[in-house]
Amino acid sequence: MRSGYFKERFVQQLDLTDSLAERVWFAAVFVVLITLPAYASPYLLGHMTTILYTLVAALGLNVLTGFTGLVSLGNVAFLILGAYGYAIGSTRLGLHPLLAFALAGFVPAVAGLVVGFPALRLKGLYLAITTLAFVYVVHSAILTGGDFTGGARGIMVARPDVFGINFSSDRALYWLCFAVAMFSLFCVINIRRSRLGRSFMAIRDNDTAAVSMGISLTTYKLLAFTISSFFVGLSGGLMVLFINFANIEGFPFLLSIEALAIVIVGGLGSTLGAVLGTVFIMTLPEITNQLLSSASATIGQQLTTGALEIKGILYGSAIVAFLLLDPRGLVGLWIDLKRWWVNRPIRY
Amino acid sequence: MSSNLYTGKEKKMRFAFELLASGIAVGALYGLMAMAFALTYKATGLLNFAQGELGMLIAYLAWSLSTALGSNTLALIAGTLVSSVFLGYVVERFIMRRMLGQPVFSAVLVTVGIGLIISSTVLLVWGGEPKEVIVPYAKDIISIGGVRMRQSQLAVVLVLLAALIATSLFFKYSRFGVAMRAVAIDQRTARLMGISPERVQAVAWVLSSFLAGLAGVFFAVTFELSPTLFGLGLKSFPATVVGGLDAVVGSGGSGIFIGVIENLVGGYGSTELKEVAGFLIILIILMVRPFGLFGETRVERV
Repeated sequence: MRSGYFKERFVQQLDLTDSLAERVWFAAVFVVLITLPAYASPYLLGHMTTILYTLVAALGLNVLTGFTGLVSLGNVAFLILGAYGYAIGSTRLGLHPLLAFALAGFVPAVAGLVVGFPALRLKGLYLAITTLAFVYVVHSAILTGGDFTGGARGIMVARPDVFGINFSSDRALYWLCFAVAMFSLFCVINIRRSRLGRSFMAIRDNDTAAVSMGISLTTYKLLAFTISSFFVGLSGGLMVLFINFANIEGFPFLLSIEALAIVIVGGLGSTLGAVLGTVFIMTLPEITNQLLSSASATIGQQLTTGALEIKGILYGSAIVAFLLLDPRGLVGLWIDLKRWWVNRPIRY
Repeated sequence: MSSNLYTGKEKKMRFAFELLASGIAVGALYGLMAMAFALTYKATGLLNFAQGELGMLIAYLAWSLSTALGSNTLALIAGTLVSSVFLGYVVERFIMRRMLGQPVFSAVLVTVGIGLIISSTVLLVWGGEPKEVIVPYAKDIISIGGVRMRQSQLAVVLVLLAALIATSLFFKYSRFGVAMRAVAIDQRTARLMGISPERVQAVAWVLSSFLAGLAGVFFAVTFELSPTLFGLGLKSFPATVVGGLDAVVGSGGSGIFIGVIENLVGGYGSTELKEVAGFLIILIILMVRPFGLFGETRVERV
C-alpha cells in the first residue's frame, strides 16, 4: 500500500499538484464551486462570495508574511486603496469598468513600492510599526480628500455591465469573485514553485545566506510588497463591488488583524493554508452566532448588537490558540490527518 | 480676564504657550505608555501590541471599583495598582511565558491577538458610551505663569518625571535592573550568570503593565473613559520609535517631544494632520535613524 507521496527527482519540486488524487479532488471542488449559484441559498451565496474575495487578500498577505516573513499590519490600507481605486476610477474618472478594476490592483501595488522602500532598512517589529503608521496616513488622506474621495460620506458604486454581462446579480458577482480567486490562486502557487518564491523563502529563513547566494534583498523585498499589495487591492475592488459602497467606516483596523488571523490559523507560507484559514475564519463568527442564538433568545438579541465584538474575541482567541498550541496551523492538522489515514492502523 | 486686554502679539504668544503646555501634558501620557513599550522590549525583545488595550482595561477595572465604592479616589488608586499587577502577571505567566524561545514574529502576533480580545471584551462588558472618572480637584484649572492647565495634567507630567528618575536609577543601581539589562543583551550568558529570564520577563511585564495602567487612568481622569482609549497605545508608538525601542528613559522623554509637535501641528496646521503627525514622524525617523535617536545601533551585515 502507498505510504505517502514522495518526490524522487528535483524536477518534481516544480509540479503544480502532487498526485492524481489531489488533481481529482481539486477538479471536484472546482465543479462544486462553479455550479454553486444553481442550488445555493442567497445567504450561502453571499457568504461564499465573501470567502472568495477575502481569499484573494489572504493569498496576497501570504506572499508577504508567509513566504517572505515580513509582518504587515497595513493590510487594510491596501484594501482601502484598492476599493477607492475602483470607486474613484469608475465614478470620478469615468473609466471603463475593466480599467477601473485594473486600477484597484495597480494603485495599491505602487503604494506597496512606496511602503516597501523603508522596509529595506527595517526588519520585524519596525516594519510592523511602519505599516501600521501607513494605515493611519491612508485613513486621513481619504478623509481629507474632499469631493474626490468622498471624504467621510464615501462613494456609491454601481455594479457594472461588461461585454454584455451584467454584474448586478449576485450570481454574476459570485462568478467574478470565483474567477479572480482562481486567478490569484494560480498565480500564488506558481510564485511558490518558481525562482521568485524560492528567493522569498530564502530571505524569510536566513537573509544573510540569501544575500550570499546572490539574492538581492532590495529587489525581492520590494517585489514581495508589490505583488502582495496588488492582490490585496484586487480584493478591495471586489469588496466594493459586493457592498456597492466605498466608505472608510467599512474598513476598520480589524480587517488587518482578520487577514493576519487567516494566514496564521491556516498555516504560514502555505497556499492550502490560506484557503483553509479563509474558510475557517470567515465561517467561525457565523457558526458561533447560530449556536449561541439558538441556545437562548436573549443572547441572540445581544449578539446582533455586539456582533463585531464577538468577532474580535473569536479572531483574537484563534490567533493566540493556534500560535500557542500548533503554530503550523490548520494545514498542519490536515497533514496529521492525512498521515493517520494513510498509515492506520499503525500509529505514525 | 477677557482676551481683548491683550494686544495681537501677546495673544499669539499666549496661544503658543498654551499649545506647548497641553502638548507637554498629552506628551506625558505618551511618555508613560512609550516607557511601558520600551520596558517590555528591553527585557524580552518584543513589542507588546496589547499595551494600549491593557492600559484601557486597567482604567475600566479601576473605574468600576471606584464607582462601586462611591467615586472613591483611594479605590481608584488601589484598583489601578492591583489590576495592573494582576493583569501583567497573568498575561505573562499563562501566555507569554510559553512563547519564550519561540520566534519574535509569533510572540508579537500573540500580543496582537491578546489586544483584540481585550478591546472587544471591554466593548462587550462596558458598552460604547463614554464614562466620567470623578476625582476631586482633577479638572480644576490652575495657572502657571499665565498658562492654564488642569491639575490632573500637571500631575501626569510630575508622574512621568518621577517614573523617568525611578527607572533610570533602577536600571543603573538595583541588582534586578542590572539583571534585566544583562538578559536584554544576551539571554544565554545571563542564564549562565544565574539570572532567570523567566523572572525578568515577569517583572518587566508587571512594571510595564503598571506604567500603561497609569497612562490609561490619567487619560481617563483628564479626558474621559471610553473604548477608544486603547488608541493611546497606537499614538505612543511614535514616541517609542523616536526614543528607540530599547531606550526606556529616551522613550519617556520623546513622549513629550511628540506631544508638543502634535499640538503645534494641530494649532497651526489642521486637525487631520495632527492625527497623523506622529506617524509621519515615525516614517521619517525610521528612514533616517532606524534605531531611534537614543537606541543602540546594531551592526548587521546584510
